[in-house]
Amino acid sequence: MKNNSVFMIGWEYPPHNSGGLGVACQGLTQALASDTTIQFALPYHYESTVDHMSMMSCVDPRWEKKLGTKVLYPPFASYSSEGIIRSFLSVSDSLSSEKLRMLPNSELEQRVQEYSQVIASRSNKIMQNSDLVHAHDWMSFPAARKVKEKTGKPFIAHVHSTEYDRAGLNQGNQYISSVEYEGMMAADRVIAVSYYTKSLLVNTYGIDAHKIDVVHNGALQPEVAPDPGRHHFAQKRPVIVFMGRLTLHKGVQYFIQLAKQVVVRVPNALFVVAGSGDMYHELLLTSAEQALSASVVFSGFVRSTQRDKLLDRADVFVMPSISEPFGLVAVEAAQRHTPVIISKNAGVSEVMKGAIALDFWDVDKMAESIQKLIEDPEYSQKVVQNQFTDIQQITWDNAATKVKQSYIKALLGR
Amino acid sequence: MPKLCFYFQLHQPYRLADVSVLDVGTDAFSYFDLQQQDDNKKIFMKVAEKSYRPMLSLLLQLTKQYWDFYFTFSISGVFLEQALAYAPDVVDLLQKLSKTGQVEFLAETYYHSLASLYSPKEFAYQVQEHERLLYKHLNIRPSAFRNTELIFSNEIAQLVEDMGYVGMLTEGVDRYLWGRKRTVPYAAKTKDRLPVLLKHAQLSDDVAFRFSEKSWSAWPLTVEQYLEWIQVYSEDEIVNLFMDFETFGEHQWEDTGIFTFFADFVTAFRSKKWNSFITPTQVFTPVCDRKIKKKCLDKAKLDTYDVPDPISWADVDRDITAWRDNAYQLDTLRIMYELEEEVLSSHNTQLISDWRRLQTSDHFYYMCTKWAADGDVHAYFSPYENPHEAYRRFTIALADLTERLQ
Repeated sequence: MKNNSVFMIGWEYPPHNSGGLGVACQGLTQALASDTTIQFALPYHYESTVDHMSMMSCVDPRWEKKLGTKVLYPPFASYSSEGIIRSFLSVSDSLSSEKLRMLPNSELEQRVQEYSQVIASRSNKIMQNSDLVHAHDWMSFPAARKVKEKTGKPFIAHVHSTEYDRAGLNQGNQYISSVEYEGMMAADRVIAVSYYTKSLLVNTYGIDAHKIDVVHNGALQPEVAPDPGRHHFAQKRPVIVFMGRLTLHKGVQYFIQLAKQVVVRVPNALFVVAGSGDMYHELLLTSAEQALSASVVFSGFVRSTQRDKLLDRADVFVMPSISEPFGLVAVEAAQRHTPVIISKNAGVSEVMKGAIALDFWDVDKMAESIQKLIEDPEYSQKVVQNQFTDIQQITWDNAATKVKQSYIKALLGR
Repeated sequence: MPKLCFYFQLHQPYRLADVSVLDVGTDAFSYFDLQQQDDNKKIFMKVAEKSYRPMLSLLLQLTKQYWDFYFTFSISGVFLEQALAYAPDVVDLLQKLSKTGQVEFLAETYYHSLASLYSPKEFAYQVQEHERLLYKHLNIRPSAFRNTELIFSNEIAQLVEDMGYVGMLTEGVDRYLWGRKRTVPYAAKTKDRLPVLLKHAQLSDDVAFRFSEKSWSAWPLTVEQYLEWIQVYSEDEIVNLFMDFETFGEHQWEDTGIFTFFADFVTAFRSKKWNSFITPTQVFTPVCDRKIKKKCLDKAKLDTYDVPDPISWADVDRDITAWRDNAYQLDTLRIMYELEEEVLSSHNTQLISDWRRLQTSDHFYYMCTKWAADGDVHAYFSPYENPHEAYRRFTIALADLTERLQ
């Protein structure tokens, strides 16, 4: 007998995920499913098999008419453009969050509204068997609000990232941030993926702190066992890796500045920038202008085996994000025995205390830390071991336990 | 009734393969991707089919037909290497042409590099290596010089003079000609006043670039028209038509009529009395008839072509900004030549060869970010999606090179 029954509203789910949202939904639902019945809504036809929950395609018939074919992808890519994610707003082109922000609001608004209408029209039936509705990020909030209005069931708003994060702590798209705000205001409970995000919700969005529960993301064990060491490539020089979207809020520009400082002290250091994004050309040019053409290389977007290999090989992993709700990739680096330097503005620093957390703008300190990690193997090993202890606790089971506590609070609060 | 000096450039770079960062410092790859099915081979074979074979055959036929048809080649070492590897019949054609005695072969750098701008020592080495290659495969010892993309300056001319060449070719650039003719030999500003021939850009580009351009007022260009433009020059002038060999069949496709045009032009030109074909060395070191003194090249009487800043035959400005302008180009070139001593003292032949192949000017040309008309030309010649990709691939090659030096 399962304890709870929940209706979840998502936007993307592996294998068609554009960023961390789909992966987080997968980890969380898998862990919850042991004692929770989940119906999971998506705005497209989900054609892979999932056995821990029932998938529900909530496709607006008008989309298929516009597209001329079955909708197999989200109407637009919600976040990153890493990897290829198609969207029927622009079928031929992948949409990055940067482009997304430039789309007319009406276009985004319309898709989100249509999704919410499809869900609302089915809400009575869906909610017969569900105790509450749990929505992931802003694209799902309007739908969850409607379900709550129609059925009176409690609504949990799960915030994986905010518009402020994605805009590098700038205003960003006002339509999106207002949907986030209204969603959270209407919700019975808000789940934030870190204390960092919680404080942003309180201080920037003005959400009542008492209503917000912090549930750190989990991380799955790596599919391929870590194989740390220098043997993979560039064996004779220290390798420092950045991996993520090449956008302002990931702080990748600081990574180039960092390279400039480090090569003065460690001339043979090799910096690898892995990822794609709107800052790519600017970063290339900066790298050349800073005389770093033999010290900074760009791998482009990396996936699966290459991704593992890069994290296995890295002597130091740096995540200088300006604003990072969680930052799963730092955990993945730690899993592969790589010492991590993370921005203090990253949620993951709250659960990975063994990593070195610094201000993203403090390039001097970061350079010092990199040098120390490179030149002092004992220190590096210590950091790796501490991180390793930390990440044993970063599990989806732990996250699921906390999510269920939120459910109880929401149900009792009625 | 001028003299006509044809010079055709044969060159193909080794383009960089898309090598993963994760292969840096492993023996798993070559950035020049010299496997069976690589891009370099594909491109070479394509151009061989469209241009090298038909045009070399045509030239051979014309030399046999007309004993007084002379012309000039410059062949980069990396071209000859690829021809030997991918299309030996192209080398056979070149050998046949060299045996006619009607073709002059010029000296240049083996790697079609920019070494003249950075390292006199490396420059001299590459020129010698090129000479060895020409001698080995074509039994040729060149006596006149052309630098990569006709890059020229007083300083470079001095290097060339010091190597013992009798003269060199370059572009006639208005800002250094001040209205003087480009149809007479000049003396470079060197110790021994090295003679130089200047490209006639207008008439060369009429064929090389404009031949099939329908918006051009002279399109379609007829032999009569072209001859008329050339005939305005007098008997003691030399019209220097310098162009890429690939003009014939590749830049201008066969269906534009380029091959027929060329053959007909050669026939028509020589049929006029007093017209003659000439090659650079014939200009620089003519058989001197002391009695009439007519044919002697008196260096003292040549006007000086004073070029303090490097020029070339490329782009609208005829300067070197096609290769050395933006940060991509400046930084990669800087690093390449800073590595010189370290690379050479490694005594690692493979490493040294890779470093030299990376010096080929095309790598830097592909990184050019100039726009407007020149940008189109660059995009036409580039195998990569954009200049950023050219830079990205080059940095990976640099990372590998420096890794192997550790």
